[in-house]
Amino acid sequence: MKRTKIKLLPGNIFPQLLLILVLLAMVIFLSVASPFFLTWDNLRNVFDHSSLYIILALGMTFVISSGGIDLSVGAVAALSGVCMALAMQGGLGVGISILIGLAVGGLVGAANGSVISLLRINPFIVTLGFMSLARGLALIITGGIPIYGFPRAFTWWGSGHIGPLNPPMLLAAFMAVLAALVLNMSRFGYYTLALGGNEEALRRSGVSIHLYKIMVYLLCGVTAALGGLVVTARLNTAEPLAGWMLELDSIAAVVLGGTSMKGGRGSIAGTLIACLLLGILRNGLVILSIPSYYQQLLIGMIILSAVIFAEVRSRKGLASTHKKERSTAV
Amino acid sequence: MKEKMKRMLAFMLLFSLVAFAAGCGSPASPPASGEKTGTGAAEEVKEDDDEVEKTAAGPAMNPKAQEMEQVLMEQLAPLPEFNTGEKIGVLIITLANPFWVAMKEGYEQAGAELGIEVTVMAAPTEGDTKSQLETLDAIVARDYAAIVASPIEPFNLVPGVVRANKKGIKVINLGPPISKEALKEAGGWLDGRITVDYEEQGAMAAEYIVEKLGPAGGKVAIIQGIPGAGQSEGRTAGAKKVFEAAENVEIVSIQPGNWDRNTAYNIASNILQAHPDIRAIFCCNDVMALAAADALEAAGKREGVIIFGVDFISEAHEAIKEGKLDGSIAYSIRVYSKAALILALKTVQGHAIPDEVFSPLALVSKENVAEFEGWE
Repeated sequence: MKRTKIKLLPGNIFPQLLLILVLLAMVIFLSVASPFFLTWDNLRNVFDHSSLYIILALGMTFVISSGGIDLSVGAVAALSGVCMALAMQGGLGVGISILIGLAVGGLVGAANGSVISLLRINPFIVTLGFMSLARGLALIITGGIPIYGFPRAFTWWGSGHIGPLNPPMLLAAFMAVLAALVLNMSRFGYYTLALGGNEEALRRSGVSIHLYKIMVYLLCGVTAALGGLVVTARLNTAEPLAGWMLELDSIAAVVLGGTSMKGGRGSIAGTLIACLLLGILRNGLVILSIPSYYQQLLIGMIILSAVIFAEVRSRKGLASTHKKERSTAV
Repeated sequence: MKEKMKRMLAFMLLFSLVAFAAGCGSPASPPASGEKTGTGAAEEVKEDDDEVEKTAAGPAMNPKAQEMEQVLMEQLAPLPEFNTGEKIGVLIITLANPFWVAMKEGYEQAGAELGIEVTVMAAPTEGDTKSQLETLDAIVARDYAAIVASPIEPFNLVPGVVRANKKGIKVINLGPPISKEALKEAGGWLDGRITVDYEEQGAMAAEYIVEKLGPAGGKVAIIQGIPGAGQSEGRTAGAKKVFEAAENVEIVSIQPGNWDRNTAYNIASNILQAHPDIRAIFCCNDVMALAAADALEAAGKREGVIIFGVDFISEAHEAIKEGKLDGSIAYSIRVYSKAALILALKTVQGHAIPDEVFSPLALVSKENVAEFEGWE
């Protein structure tokens, strides 16, 4: 039986350490290569841009740790942003409108989880379906035209100032701390990892698999909606096309951060660092005036190498602990 | 331990790749005026036909394009001082679309001609509004005197433009509009705008189609770009107006093709299924028009259907010559990009410029395509 790894302070901190080193190396390199990189304005840009990725990737870390995947987050971000906008246009207060948007995100998430868990359908296909469904709904209810112009109390969530920082950054930081606590210290986090580690064992120990699986996707839907809040507030516009490909960015960050695609192992710190790393990479390439073709190439290469290393490492680990099991399986 | 070393090594390798790419892409020291930008463009952009080579050598412009340039220059007088080495950043939509690739070449060549330093950046894909804003933010963080920006949709660049305003960087908006209202509300402004009259483009194409259909008329369809995008909405509205005013012409379908070749291909074949007697399809850009032509060809129904695009990209030019495409609406990319840089220079040097400048248009069809040899 597979053992689920849960640690307060991950004994296996090496991958994150490596990420931090790469991050530092990149910062040093970019600071030397361009005088425009290491300025507060630019670093603030990096944090500002990364905050959106972080918020989405946190929910995604839970889903992937549980052995699933959620392709619908970009579309859900757009849909909930559009719902917030419509609610405000309809005369509702800012707070209520935000809650409606978050509820829409949670609802789509719960729907994802329910179909996946109750009907036992592959999460890739189910969330692909909901991705298209949410994007289609967002386009239908807006008629394809962005909704623009919101009260200051709403746009504050995207472009307000809190000292030298802004609300998205603090929201991302707060969510990250919360997510780390929940994943590593709560029953919900424990079961999330167990779902990915060995679902059958969890089922046999009498835990309601359905409940926890649905909760994991619901959480991911809510973080996607929070992302929708940030993006809508920042642009002062609810676009039906917002969050394009955001699902892939967040999956990439989660995997780069050392969370296992097979589930059972998840790292919030890793996700956080990976988001910053990708944010710095995107920013740095533009600062250095490198054409967008190379940006995609490089991001692809970095993700691939991270996944390959993780895979090689986990196989070696498995080979030693599960030699017996493997030989019988083959 | 050995394994750790391996991993370390690979990351270092990747890292050196970043460094290598940086070496390739970053502009070298200020241009000596002339060649530098031209060769840079040739390296970065795949050259798939001999036209690119001609531009690198600085060819004589097509007479039609020269005419257009003349008209525009008169509109822009008095001209600013050239060869002053100003740094101008350009943000286009995406290098995944041949039109914007051509625009990038146009900018770089015009920059060399005018003796200024031009850097062109883009979003990874046509739908990625968020990345485009992030790219703009990074451009603003650098030391450009002016930025020429073309947004994916009216609102996505607004916060970045406001930051540029605050930093004293002049902002010229080329092509699809950045919403002035949204900018005003966010405390920003545009220093100038140059664009093409999109409605006029749609109307010109539709008028040609109506004339060709003759008094018998027939069924027509429109394939739009991304819903809500300025060019798409404008061209659709212009074409729709003309089609609706014409007798016996019936619009049977208006579908969003998202500027995407594959989507447009599917839509065209679906339209053909639903309306085998379709007589004309107007597409909001050439890429989609070429796809529609392919789709009809594949179904064996290309004969007797007029397919029109907009932008007159080089692939469309070839297709019109071969009779695969019936026509397109052209505006000279070289004139357009050069005019934007001149406007930017004028604002940097403190000249007043008009609120909005329109680039002149031309209709290209099989009847007059010969006159457009060497057009850019």
